[in-house]
Amino acid sequence: MKERPNVIPLRRTATHSRRPGPLPRADRELRARLRTVEAELERAKARAERPEGLLVTLARLAQAGTRGLSWASLARLQSALYFAWHSEDVDEFGSDRRFTETLQPLFEFLYTVWWRVETAGIEHVPAEGPGLVVVNHSGVLPYDGLMVKLAIRQEHPARRDCRMLALDMFALLPVLAPLLAKSGSVRANPENGERLLNKGELVGVFPEGVKGVGKPFRDRYKLARFGRGGFVRIALRTGAPIIPCAVVGAEEIHPMLANADWIGRPLGFPYFPITPTFPALGPLGLVPLPTKWSIDFTDPMDVSQYGPEAAEDPILVNRLSEEIRSVIQRMIDGRLARRRSVWFG
Amino acid sequence: MGRIAVTGTSSFLGSRILRRLVDARGADSVVTVDIAAPPAALGDVHRQMLDLTLPGADQRLVDVLQVEEVDTVVHAAFFTSPRRDSSYAHELESIGTLHLVAAAAAAGVRHVLMRSYTAVYGARGQNPNFLTEDHRPDPNPSLGWVRDKLEAEQHALAFAKRYPSMGVTILRFATILGSGLHTFYSRVLAKRVVPVVFGYDPLVQFLHPEDALAALEAALAKGPCGIVNVVPRDALTLLTALHLAEKVTVAVPHPVAYALADLAWNAGIGAAPAGFVDYVRFLFVADGEKAKRELGWIARYRSRDALEAYLAYRYPETASVPLPLRGEG
Repeated sequence: MKERPNVIPLRRTATHSRRPGPLPRADRELRARLRTVEAELERAKARAERPEGLLVTLARLAQAGTRGLSWASLARLQSALYFAWHSEDVDEFGSDRRFTETLQPLFEFLYTVWWRVETAGIEHVPAEGPGLVVVNHSGVLPYDGLMVKLAIRQEHPARRDCRMLALDMFALLPVLAPLLAKSGSVRANPENGERLLNKGELVGVFPEGVKGVGKPFRDRYKLARFGRGGFVRIALRTGAPIIPCAVVGAEEIHPMLANADWIGRPLGFPYFPITPTFPALGPLGLVPLPTKWSIDFTDPMDVSQYGPEAAEDPILVNRLSEEIRSVIQRMIDGRLARRRSVWFG
Repeated sequence: MGRIAVTGTSSFLGSRILRRLVDARGADSVVTVDIAAPPAALGDVHRQMLDLTLPGADQRLVDVLQVEEVDTVVHAAFFTSPRRDSSYAHELESIGTLHLVAAAAAAGVRHVLMRSYTAVYGARGQNPNFLTEDHRPDPNPSLGWVRDKLEAEQHALAFAKRYPSMGVTILRFATILGSGLHTFYSRVLAKRVVPVVFGYDPLVQFLHPEDALAALEAALAKGPCGIVNVVPRDALTLLTALHLAEKVTVAVPHPVAYALADLAWNAGIGAAPAGFVDYVRFLFVADGEKAKRELGWIARYRSRDALEAYLAYRYPETASVPLPLRGEG
């Protein structure tokens, strides 16, 4: 690095002594080189000014030994641990980019290796503007939301981000609440849904709610009641198209044989699943089974023709809700008829 | 044009708005209504010593407001931090506001501008991410600090409804971080070890004092416009705020957090009673659209700017320095 600037100008001066012509070229090259050096300097400066990462903090602490034990260093360690996987700025709903990026490899592993998700009909998801993706809910824990979000992110040419509306019970539980919020989910209520749709975002909802995600194994793939049609109302108010989506495979990840809800309720969980592995195998029972998943999207339903005031018409809302429910049920039944094996599809 | 009366002139917002009013309109156009006299530096401000908590306060206040020809009242006599003496707080905030709005209505005051808090919405798990002004407040019923504020708001709104000649503006300010302002969060930020609720990291809003005053002035210029949220440009998560302030956090599981908080509060070491655990567990982020629309006021600072400005002012020694390397002394 040190020698190169010496070499070039020498050669250039030599040519210059013979012909005066190439001087501007040498000048240009020098300028270009100066620019790259300056850019490198800027980058180095930015690196030096960046707050110390986790590893540096740990190394410093180890080096300081017992002298490093103080409230201040403990605080600094905690802060470094926290900011190692959280960014300092979140979006208005609390979604954290660095947090999502940190967990992304795990989610991608689940998507491609563990459940080998097969996605069909992704072209039905609009490339821009608002859209309401309506999905069947299953699997005890809200993995299906994560996978639908990832499917749209990975497979859609516009790589859109789908904000999932999470059930209260998940959005209020310790640990799960910040995890969902930081990975881009939003607590399910009409205000949040409308706000997101009005901003032109893609929103995912699970109208079955608790009845869907916590249903016993014998009721698998039978769609529960679609709430009170709240999702239709927000679509009507915002004029967003409704995209039905069917997830097959998530019902078997935690087959719920029995429900000991008397244990779950005091902890804020409306059900407490007894599965073949949980709680018999302890924490290992929390590992979901590696079934084969498919996620299907179908033609969007345009509800803008009814106008926003139609949201106050309960008969219409129920009819549309029922219509979408039967579309999703048909998609699920079609998939199930073609499915040979729970594990290999 | 009538005079402007200011209550709570020793409070953070009250004292600052008083100074700004004196600077902008002259000392003669401002009246202070308080139990304490304002700083002598304010010059010829009309002073009325009056205790809002006394039974006959409304009678006297009517006379004062009429004699001074008051047409606008800025009501800032509220406690920004929870007090142990909750019955006095109730008398001042709820009953004092009742006296004030009753007297203002009787004295023909045109506009009552009252300071309030976004905390009155209550931090609830069921809250939408953005609380708008028409959201029904539902705070923790055990929390007297918030209940008194809410009662005060209701008194003001009820009188405004009964007397159409009097309009009210209720500015619900997000948590203001300012020098000398004691709030729940400033108490938390003053500690080295901060208990947090295990597994929760809600969004919080911190308002820069400059923004708060600008909004107050905009509301004074605009006239009555009901309830308006005054919030910063964005929010940040509680743990981000605590780690930026370099606090040691200790996670307490929520089933025991409330009991521990009350125990610590009753023992005199806690920052706030148990009801405040809600405010570090769930979000109560308010929406600032109405302030933009009605007051034409837009926050200049983000929550993070407000926090950093406060920390740099209040705790300059915690400005981030790396641990010394061995051999560097």
